[in-house]
Amino acid sequence: MNSTLTKIYYSTLLLTVTVGCRKPYNPPAITAPNSYLVVEGIINSGSDSTIIQLSRTVNLSSGTTNNPVTGASVSVQSNTNTSYPLTETSTGHYSVAGLNLSNTQTYRLSIITAQNQQYKSDFEPVKVSPPVDSVGFAILSDGMQLYVNTHDPNNNTHYYRWEYAETWQFHSEYFSGFVTDGTEIVPRTQSQLIYNCFGNDTNSDIVLGSSAKLTSDVIYQGPLVKVGSTSEKLETKYSILVTQYALTSDAYTFYTNLKKNTEQLGSIFDAQPSEIAGNIHNVNNATEPVLGYISVGTTQSKRIFVSNSQLPSSWTATYPYQCQEDTFYYSAPVNHQNQVATNLVQANSDIIPTFAVYSRGTSSIIGFLASDAQCVDCTLRGTTTQPGFWK
Amino acid sequence: MLFIQMARAQQNTGKLISGDFNKASIGQFVTDIEAKTSYHFYYDVTEFDSLKITLQVNNKPLDVVLDMAFNNTDFHYAIDQNKIFLTKGRQIKTDLAPGFSAAAPLSISNNQNNSVADYTEDKEKKVPEATTENKLYEIGTKTNTIAPGNSILSGYVRDIKSGEAVVGASIYFPSTKTGVATDQFGYFTITVPRGRQILVIRGLGMRDTRRQIILYTDGKLNIDLQEQVNTLKEVKISADKVANVRSPELGVSRLTIATIKQIPAAFGEADVLRVVLTLPGVKTVGEATTGFNVRGGAADENLILLDGATIYNPAHFFGFFAAFNPDLVKDIELYKSSIPEKYGGRLSSVLEINNREGNKKIFTGSAGIGLLTSRFNIEGPIVKDKTSFIFGARTTYSDWLLSLLPEAYKHSSASFNDFNLGISHQIDDKNNIYLTGYLSNDKFKLNSDTQYSYSNKSAALKWKHNFNNKLYSLISVGDDHYQYDINSTLNPVNAFDLGFKINQANFRADFTYYISNKHTLDFGVNSILYKLNPGTFEPDGSQSLVVPQVVPAEQALESGIYLGDKYDVSSNLTINAGVRFNVYNYLGPQTIDQYAANLPREPANVIDSTTYKSGKVINTYSAPDIRLQARYLLGDDISIKGGYNTMHQYIHLLSNSTSISPTDVYKLSDPNIKPEHGDQVSLGLFKNARQNTIEMSVEVYYKRIRDYLDYKSGAVLLLNEHIEQDVINTQGKAYGAEFLIKKTAGKLNGWVSYTYSRTFLRQDDPNAGELINNGAYYPANWDEPHAFNFTGNYKFTHRYSISLDLNYNTGRPITLPVAKYEYAGSERVFYSDRNEYRIPYYFRSDFSLNIEGNHRVHQKTHNSWTIGVYNLTGRQNAYSTFFTEQSGVISGYKLSIFASPIPFVNYNIRF
Repeated sequence: MNSTLTKIYYSTLLLTVTVGCRKPYNPPAITAPNSYLVVEGIINSGSDSTIIQLSRTVNLSSGTTNNPVTGASVSVQSNTNTSYPLTETSTGHYSVAGLNLSNTQTYRLSIITAQNQQYKSDFEPVKVSPPVDSVGFAILSDGMQLYVNTHDPNNNTHYYRWEYAETWQFHSEYFSGFVTDGTEIVPRTQSQLIYNCFGNDTNSDIVLGSSAKLTSDVIYQGPLVKVGSTSEKLETKYSILVTQYALTSDAYTFYTNLKKNTEQLGSIFDAQPSEIAGNIHNVNNATEPVLGYISVGTTQSKRIFVSNSQLPSSWTATYPYQCQEDTFYYSAPVNHQNQVATNLVQANSDIIPTFAVYSRGTSSIIGFLASDAQCVDCTLRGTTTQPGFWK
Repeated sequence: MLFIQMARAQQNTGKLISGDFNKASIGQFVTDIEAKTSYHFYYDVTEFDSLKITLQVNNKPLDVVLDMAFNNTDFHYAIDQNKIFLTKGRQIKTDLAPGFSAAAPLSISNNQNNSVADYTEDKEKKVPEATTENKLYEIGTKTNTIAPGNSILSGYVRDIKSGEAVVGASIYFPSTKTGVATDQFGYFTITVPRGRQILVIRGLGMRDTRRQIILYTDGKLNIDLQEQVNTLKEVKISADKVANVRSPELGVSRLTIATIKQIPAAFGEADVLRVVLTLPGVKTVGEATTGFNVRGGAADENLILLDGATIYNPAHFFGFFAAFNPDLVKDIELYKSSIPEKYGGRLSSVLEINNREGNKKIFTGSAGIGLLTSRFNIEGPIVKDKTSFIFGARTTYSDWLLSLLPEAYKHSSASFNDFNLGISHQIDDKNNIYLTGYLSNDKFKLNSDTQYSYSNKSAALKWKHNFNNKLYSLISVGDDHYQYDINSTLNPVNAFDLGFKINQANFRADFTYYISNKHTLDFGVNSILYKLNPGTFEPDGSQSLVVPQVVPAEQALESGIYLGDKYDVSSNLTINAGVRFNVYNYLGPQTIDQYAANLPREPANVIDSTTYKSGKVINTYSAPDIRLQARYLLGDDISIKGGYNTMHQYIHLLSNSTSISPTDVYKLSDPNIKPEHGDQVSLGLFKNARQNTIEMSVEVYYKRIRDYLDYKSGAVLLLNEHIEQDVINTQGKAYGAEFLIKKTAGKLNGWVSYTYSRTFLRQDDPNAGELINNGAYYPANWDEPHAFNFTGNYKFTHRYSISLDLNYNTGRPITLPVAKYEYAGSERVFYSDRNEYRIPYYFRSDFSLNIEGNHRVHQKTHNSWTIGVYNLTGRQNAYSTFFTEQSGVISGYKLSIFASPIPFVNYNIRF
């Protein structure tokens, strides 16, 4: 009796107190009547280059989200009618080198598409980001929480957004000493090693902070990202580069709503999805939705390193794949097939030799241990090239 | 009959008497007769002190005069020689027993004259307690003749065992085919022809019974009913089996706790609010949400009254449980259309939840153990038959269970409790006092360090006074309180404590005046003094840098004065007409911004700002509300009813989630925020069949809502000192048809309902700037066109019964993404017009088996078990669908709350 009751508690509570039962849902085929212009980027008022990306929305069912807008004429305009043109440096990317704008003027973005539709953002003030004081981490029971500290001594910033880029050193499950050259298995050279790699990722979530309700303009331990204790990001050394943006109150609201609409739905007390009004408008059609918000300002950044020795020794990385090694013989003991030739020699084989198998007491290779590529080849998830900043 | 025809003595009656007595006392009467004759009277003065004689005689013999004087009274006379013996109750026989020879004595005979013995100037005599069927109860001042015409009979109907009032009992007079139902105190009053009458009384859970009376004049009769012990699970929606057809009300549902208890609930505990959702015309945005929608109204447009106290958050545990203890609740009443004029201040409905009174005779109690909650209640007399108390408590013990869950949920916690106390005291026949108190607390953390808590508190004192049979009053004062608190201390620099409070002090004076059998007047005044603390935000801990913020408190006085008349125009036509005049004063201290006319309410358009002192009336809204209903009987068991209502609402709930959540904001109307108002016209056809055991109805309605408050996209509602800048006036329209068939008796009972209804909203605020859906109508969140419900109970024996509950409705509207794009490192979605799509339909079936212990009345405890399954088919009903980013890719998800069959077991014990 007791145990069945406990089970009932479990089932009901699991369903209720947590996110309940969450299942994939595919809505009926929905297509938008139009595809709308999406403008992303920041007018960098400092010495860094300004990069604006133009794209269009795609239907929900579309396989790709990448729908760049090319051939547009894009410029930054000041409230005193100075214009700084951008050039399309890659598909849909429009950029200009360091503009070094005045902090006392306001600026906007002007876009004229190839279809001659004209879009303008609102004039925005220059928000200069204060320096990042520090980036730190806290050890939690199940992972490492990274956070950022900053403050504005002038009490003038209040609204912050951060982007981050993670880099980590990791290795594959098995070391591989051999490689195929297309005709036979040969030992790897130093440059052909695929055991140690560097992985990297950038944030896909929106990270915001506000000190508007505090007595001073201080962000204390603003959470950035949590890395799980079993993540291979932490198995050797981990680094994070944090880039800080200062926002106006309106821009902060825009990002908050974007985050709510796309990242924070699905709880019991859900906010309803709301329309997200940006600050870019079609000059001739005010009702046309234009997605995005253009801010003006400078950025600040900071990088830190966390090596495995700074973390609890009980944390061990879980390899993301199930791995095992098999033996492949030149002449298999039972049927004398050449397993090496059939499985390992061909170029781009999915099975990669790791160690040689020698005939007992001799130095003659009779076969190889080998495993699946994802267990051996770290370059599938990273690069063997050490980044310039790595230390 | 008390009077025995006897032989009349012929002697001594020669002298004829004339006289004129007007309310003469026995002394005056005797002296006069003695002066006019040679007779001498012998009697006990104290026995006759209540007799008043009104008589006009002209040259009548003595025995005729005496006959007339004492006819229809309990007084007797006997004449022996020249002595006259007057007695009460029994007659002196002046003759000898048979076999003895003597002169035959005189006695009396019935006489048709207009003599009236009048008791009215005397002290109130004890109201008879009518407990048995076969006794004849005499009502009113006994007269020697019963004048034709009507008199008023009033009194209380009570449970003989507990002394509790029986509410909604029907008292029916077969001879005249008239009837009346008892009010919330068990009180009734009715006009019936004088003379001998039979009353048929039917009470909820009471044995049907009848009483015989002889009605002389206006009078009182208290009726004690026996509990119907054997049929514990009988469904009775309304005690008055003819009420469906005969009462002028439409859009009213009454449910007793017995009915509520037989409907399977998620965790096995009877849930008052969940049952409301099975009624036609009531919708919800999700199965575990707080709040419900009545005939297209928003969740805050329902006035939820627990024994008259306003409850702002009627749910526990994020909405999974109703905050009302089912062991104390007696019955509920939902008014969807015919809202009595004594209620105002909400647009859509009034839900009255009535708790029982304590047992006035003996101590009893009950306890229940469920999966997540336990409850206990005790009641009994403080002074037997005069004063009683009832106390109930519930608590949950889910916290320790949460700690058993995997790591990811370990940091969740939830707990709640609630307490009820009721004391009732009968001062005398005319005065009763009732004291009620209610407290509920909720606390939860959802996998985070942020703790939410909320609490309802209320206390009320009521005084019921009967001026006379025709007029009674109910005066009440009370205080209702709701607050919530959000607290987070994880980050010491940002540690905060956020609080929100509503307090309302209530005063009510309600009068019912029973003018005649054609007119019943209801009139009175009521006032609510609101004090709202719309947000305090404070640092928690010495390291916190949070700037304390206090959104200025708001004050307002909402008053109403009302008059309503129930007018029985003819035996077929009854009209209920009422008017309620609302006056709303927004009070200082407050600072009010004025905005430029015809411009959006934005900071840039503030042209002036005025600060008002404490208590100053800042502005006043006043408006009349009309309440009109009529019923026309087309036949004995079929009637047509119509109604028209207007309503005003001065307190608004602003919520940017789909359901009521503990972070919602209440706002009082002020110079910048107009009151909501609405009206509804409804029409219904009501028919009873099979000796009134089957009730059928069809009701249609059309409703308009004006100045409902919606909010701008992305508005921050909490701690907003200028909320008028973020809200948009919205109008709504709702219409629908509700079909209901109910079987109220027999082994199989229950109801089937189908509702077709639509609700649309439209933003029509010219100063709002960008409008949702460009100002066109869009379906409201609770627009669920088709709804079907079956609730049935089958009794195998008195101990075993099964219940089945089926629910179907169209999925609620949602806003779906129509396009996607890349932004800020991830795929993002672009949403359709609001509520353009719908989630899949909702279907749920619940089953329960109720087992009662043996029904011997005289045993220490009574046990019962309820075993059942909630969501029998395990359908994964969508609570919501949403699209969210995971590792840079947008995916659609469906969230289900009760996604599998949930078995439950519940054990109850009564002592």
